[in-house]
Amino acid sequence: MSFEPQDQTRGDSTPFFGDTEPAPLSCNEAASLCMKAARGAGMSWGMAEEAGFAAAWLVSHGIDGPSHMRAHLERADGRDWADLCPSATPGDWQNAHGQPACPIILGATMCDYADLPEGPNSGATVALGPVSAPILLVPFLVELAHSKSLAFTLSWPEGAIRIDNDETWLQAALQSLGVPQLVLTLSAKAAQPHKPSAASMPNAQTTAATIAALNAFAMRTTVPATEASRTGAGSTLSDND
Amino acid sequence: MSLNTSILSTETLEYMRPATEVMRLARMGCGHPTRLSFLRVLLRRLASSDWKIDRPVWNVDANGVGHGVYRVKSAERTYSLVAFAHDLPPEMRSDRVIATAWDATFTLFDGEPTAEDIARLADNVPYQEAGRISTKELTLARANRSVRLFEHVVNALAQGCQPDPAEIAAVGYLMRTTAVYGSGKFGASDRADIAQRPELAAPFQVEMLTVWLIRAFTVDIVEHIATARGGKTAVKLDRDIRRSLGVGNSTGLGMAPFIVRHPVLLNNWMMAREEALARVRAQPTARSQAVSDLSAALDAAITNARVWHSEHPIQVCKLDELRHDLALLSTTLNTWDWKGEHPWDALWSWGVQTLTFEGQEALLSLMLEPHGALVDDLADHMGADEAASFRIDGAMPVAELRRILETHYAWALAIDFTSPENVARFWYVSEEKLEPRLGERATEDGATLEQPLCIARLMSELHAAVQSFDGTRSVAALMLAHPEHRFAVRRVQIAKRHPYAEVQDNLIAADMLPIDLLRCKLAFFGASQFDPRSDRWVRINLFAGAPFPDDIKAGGAV
Repeated sequence: MSFEPQDQTRGDSTPFFGDTEPAPLSCNEAASLCMKAARGAGMSWGMAEEAGFAAAWLVSHGIDGPSHMRAHLERADGRDWADLCPSATPGDWQNAHGQPACPIILGATMCDYADLPEGPNSGATVALGPVSAPILLVPFLVELAHSKSLAFTLSWPEGAIRIDNDETWLQAALQSLGVPQLVLTLSAKAAQPHKPSAASMPNAQTTAATIAALNAFAMRTTVPATEASRTGAGSTLSDND
Repeated sequence: MSLNTSILSTETLEYMRPATEVMRLARMGCGHPTRLSFLRVLLRRLASSDWKIDRPVWNVDANGVGHGVYRVKSAERTYSLVAFAHDLPPEMRSDRVIATAWDATFTLFDGEPTAEDIARLADNVPYQEAGRISTKELTLARANRSVRLFEHVVNALAQGCQPDPAEIAAVGYLMRTTAVYGSGKFGASDRADIAQRPELAAPFQVEMLTVWLIRAFTVDIVEHIATARGGKTAVKLDRDIRRSLGVGNSTGLGMAPFIVRHPVLLNNWMMAREEALARVRAQPTARSQAVSDLSAALDAAITNARVWHSEHPIQVCKLDELRHDLALLSTTLNTWDWKGEHPWDALWSWGVQTLTFEGQEALLSLMLEPHGALVDDLADHMGADEAASFRIDGAMPVAELRRILETHYAWALAIDFTSPENVARFWYVSEEKLEPRLGERATEDGATLEQPLCIARLMSELHAAVQSFDGTRSVAALMLAHPEHRFAVRRVQIAKRHPYAEVQDNLIAADMLPIDLLRCKLAFFGASQFDPRSDRWVRINLFAGAPFPDDIKAGGAV
């Protein structure tokens, strides 16, 4: 990379944090940084938008989504779509190659299938197989729970959590799901329609190391400068008038 | 609010201009501010409700260095602009987003800042991108002096004289902002956390409030320096001259992608404006008050067109057309038959047949002006809940997706992307400065890192994919098989319900002008006197002619 770490002339809101200080990002910053990083790590633009959505949702719910995103992208970097995507068949969504699924692709695809027979409908139990950074799946499941009035039980060999309308389960989810990988099964039941809660919590903070790592992925989407690109960027006239 | 067709009524539907007419760059690049522009929405609220505006802090030395606080207070809320005035050497003055120092820097604080807040902001705001603000702040901004006019006005006032009106008219502002950041940038409060406040529901209200208060600061700092220099000889700026001053703004390519990246928002802006025009045209008769208000608005537009300067060849030509069209309109109105049937619609039809795009879009603005009671409520529909249209409808059959694509993107599918002039450019982000730029595909590297702003081509590629995909299968299945089209599919599904969501032109064509995108957006802000400095860089004026904090209650209709 050709820029100085403290170069304030870069037209972006990439924050400058030292190694040890807390790094609070707005949801907009978290979404923007994670979207670019996901694109840099190989996701399509449309899927990278889903990554931005998931990271910002977690930040707004007090969970350091960007750090989980970073951990996942470092594992998924360079892997083919076929090794990351689920197979959407009724009851079995495991990756066809037996690889750990990308939680963003899995979550977005489950939302795509919300109103289809293969999807997570009431009464269904779906084997998800191994899932990378499973906490990143939560924002998608919460959206599905709200839009379809469902309650989900997400289980793995050592435990289970219930994802339903009140979000008191979130901290428990962080404990259980904030791990590199779990082999998951999802079951869905009908639930009361969601009532939005007025309570808001402070945004989660992330770390300088996470921001640096995500930035390294994001920088892969940028183009090195040339003299032509520099001269074409601004006014052709003086600003001292 | 996302499905904005709810603002439409059957009586006005036949008067709506179709998107194929409205959403063309050549026309968008002739946009004029209207009474639905965001700065007008702000001024109407400030003038009509119980907002009290004052300047509780002014800590500025004789060299014009220090800080001030401008406070806007209602029963429920207070907003405070914290302004830092600096002493900037001329060699450091640049309007580019990549500058490192400015004549003045600002933040809009959510509430009343304590001394600790001010100290924290003083450590961060002057450094702009290299500093950090918090969820207590709503915007971050900076401005540079118009060296020529600033010095002229300070000198005149210090000597007890008023500045030369010709000099004032030639520039139009004392300072120009070079960036006004909101929406969570640099740690500021997220838009979602404030959008439910009634006074901030319309788009860009915190940004507009920031700029309006900056305008007051620009006059205060000039008068302060003049007094420091001239002592008892110095005078205040004449109130009529003051009112004519706006805040300049320099905007480059970086802002051009905004309206492409926010299709629902763009739709809602356009839809509100077009519905307003349709409501005016649908009136069976014309009120005499509205007719005389139109005449007054036209006089103001003619004056504005007279003082509007640009050296850019494209704008010089457009200005000639505008002045000619406004004169023609003035002559025509002298004998216009207001007793005929649907006289506003007849006037509009005359304009479409007679005027250039510049003149037509100016006429639109003029026709809305006398009709506040009829159209101002539409400002409440110009925000967008983008999250509500984010999810893809995976149950939609691919055949239906294809039908929407072929209906709403016929303009895109008609473009031949094997032709070099239709793929001549590519949008990318510069590694060095992280700003959006436009490259030449034939001669510059980096096209493999193209940003998804070439909407027409993305739609053309999606069309090829759906043609060879079983139409009875679901969009969800298409997304599993073709994840590379997820971005385009989301937009197609948005376009189904948002007819004005897309700029219906090829944004990578050889002859595409980025300033057209900029002008469209800036007109919705309320900018006037567009002055392109290149094909991708434009200067504007905001709030010229508008009231100041100390006269907004008595300032008459805005």
